Amino acid sequence: MMRYEVPQLETERLILRGHRESDIAAEKAFFATDASQFVGGPIPPHRAWRTVAMMMGHWALRGFGFWALEEKATGAYVGRAGLWFPDGWLEKEIGWTLMNDATGKGYATEAALAARTHAHDVLGWETAISQIDPKNDASKAVAARLGARFEKHFEDPEYGQIEIWRHPAPADLVNGGMEAYA
Amino acid sequence: MTIAPTISTARLTLRQPEAGDFPAYAGYCASDRARFVGGPFDAVKAFEKLAAMAGHWVLRGFGRYIIEHKGAPVGHVGPLALESGQDPEMTWTLWNETSEGKGIAKEASAAVLDHLLQDAQWAGLISRVDAQNTPSRRLAESLGATLTDEAAPSWMPTAVTYRFLKVGV
Repeated sequence: MMRYEVPQLETERLILRGHRESDIAAEKAFFATDASQFVGGPIPPHRAWRTVAMMMGHWALRGFGFWALEEKATGAYVGRAGLWFPDGWLEKEIGWTLMNDATGKGYATEAALAARTHAHDVLGWETAISQIDPKNDASKAVAARLGARFEKHFEDPEYGQIEIWRHPAPADLVNGGMEAYA
Repeated sequence: MTIAPTISTARLTLRQPEAGDFPAYAGYCASDRARFVGGPFDAVKAFEKLAAMAGHWVLRGFGRYIIEHKGAPVGHVGPLALESGQDPEMTWTLWNETSEGKGIAKEASAAVLDHLLQDAQWAGLISRVDAQNTPSRRLAESLGATLTDEAAPSWMPTAVTYRFLKVGV
């Protein structure tokens, strides 16, 4: 099989793990709705499958990627969060996307914080951005809760105008730590 | 049975995609050779496609192999199963014209088909080839595929469909 490993992480309410085939039904449903407009959707089911395959392959090629988010209480797949840097990407990125019935609970912040801690502590990242659609207020609120700051606008050839948010560097988090943003 | 992650032939090693394949693969994606599969594609798309090729192995337990010839990646070959409810699709692609005319695509495809249809006893595979892609159509026929009258899918309206069947059925 592919030589890759997705390290399993845990937060208070979530398990972060590799994607499985059984997660894809939820992704297909999500990608059929307008809620996916900020992450390249809506797209047909077969392209949703390919998107998940691509996320798994990012681990194989880069050694990091997006985790599937599993709700501890129910075992349900509630979304994904992780670290993204395909070839040609602006900068190393921290991203998050929740399925439609999982929003409003703080899951994105909880998961992205775990992903960022992994980036800092395990991968040695010194900085990271998040690219956010200017209309995506929920995502901007997550970025703000994570202590990220709006930096500039960027004209993406595919997504149009997006906002670049800059995450705090590891050194900025030492005093007060992540709790300062919780 | 488990599908082999690596297959060796007389001249070739077929193996799973890895990060070092990216420059050569991106070169192919940016070239006119990608026109039969919806391209050319930029580097971002190329990365996504190579990642999807790797992720297919993770999710399905089989996928497309990188063709290695004299230590260099020169193409990809193997089965693809998107969610079409159909038999998996057999594909073969050489990334550079300098690899053509040496029987590499045929040697690689024949080894994969042997493994899937004989060792693993798969019932069958299809192949979709652009009607104008004469070299690829000839290759399908020389590998024992039969042309079907299946309609072209909406996303590849100029394709013809071939079918490979399990040996001895």
